[in-house]
Amino acid sequence: MGSIVLYMSMSLDGFIAGPGDTKDNPFGTGGHRLHKWLGPSGEGFRPSDKPSRTIFEEVMSTGAVITGRRTGDFVGYWDGDHHDGVPIFVPTHHAPEVTPPGDVRFVTDGIGTCAEQARTAAGDRDVLVHGAYTARECLRARVLDVMEIQLIPVLLGQGRLLFDGLGPDHIELALVRSLESPNALHLRYEVKYA
Amino acid sequence: MIRLYMAMSLDGFIAGPDDRPGQELGRDGARVMNWGNYRMSDGPDGQVFREAMATGAVISGRRTFELAGRWQGDHHDGVPIFVLTHHVDDGDVPPGSARFVTDVADCAELARAGAGDRDVMVHGAGAAQALLRGGVLDEMEIHLAPVLLGGGRRLFDALGPDHIELELIRRLEGRDATHLRYRVHRHPAQNEK
Repeated sequence: MGSIVLYMSMSLDGFIAGPGDTKDNPFGTGGHRLHKWLGPSGEGFRPSDKPSRTIFEEVMSTGAVITGRRTGDFVGYWDGDHHDGVPIFVPTHHAPEVTPPGDVRFVTDGIGTCAEQARTAAGDRDVLVHGAYTARECLRARVLDVMEIQLIPVLLGQGRLLFDGLGPDHIELALVRSLESPNALHLRYEVKYA
Repeated sequence: MIRLYMAMSLDGFIAGPDDRPGQELGRDGARVMNWGNYRMSDGPDGQVFREAMATGAVISGRRTFELAGRWQGDHHDGVPIFVLTHHVDDGDVPPGSARFVTDVADCAELARAGAGDRDVMVHGAGAAQALLRGGVLDEMEIHLAPVLLGGGRRLFDALGPDHIELELIRRLEGRDATHLRYRVHRHPAQNEK
């Protein structure tokens, strides 16, 4: 069984997007800074340094994707294919009337069910989690196993926080790997639910 | 070198909710300081602690200073303590080597002079933010604790729209923290000053 893994680029001050993130500007004002480690987008996002490439290849070898509705809507559900045609699971309260192309599955009976279905679909491979809100929902439901944080050496100053309103209970983590690259520190934490 | 030393959870908190005298790190906020249990070790935690204690002056925010009981006037080795504050009451003379300063640039200058050829240690979120905004913070040593605190006081809060570029210049894995040293790169507008 694989793990459910959040991959997220975050500034040292905790932001994952600049202010005013919309469908037309999904990273928000200045938020592109956080994704520089992926390399120039014109070349189809290929990091040039070895540690970043390792992370990128891990993302691309996951066997299923869980994405939030907001993130999914922003990017048009990657036209139904995030990578290699793996199924995309979307936890939501209401499934849209028009289903996007490809293998996009809206799950309306809770994040737990969604996580279970994604795990099953991924088989031995990991499940990729996309989106801050969904990441927090996965944490609250105790189904997120690993967080791979790309810690970006910048203070963004404002924008959308990754960790916001999680509530008073501490969630212990264990740092299991850290890889340094010129544009990001890749920190892999296992989540240790009490 | 003016360098911030602060322990922070991965979700950005330096203290739990409701930090006040008697509960200086907030409710359950002492968790972020667990690495301090290893401060006397020969390992990275000990190294970082010894470096902090070898600084030649301290800059603190007023809130931190008061929460810490004004350190009875001596943070370590009697080095001068410069306390950034907006307001000083008549007749309020801080104890020992501490003094109040109301201007960020003056504070940095006084601390540099006071430290001589040693570094200056900065403590507290308020002081950190003021020095960052003033463009006078050189480095940050962040003790990143492997925990999500879920709430409390943030280290970086409402810094404003200008990005501040950093450069990771050292990473030490401690027992319960990753010690990350960043160089602060000046905003272009500040370079011109």
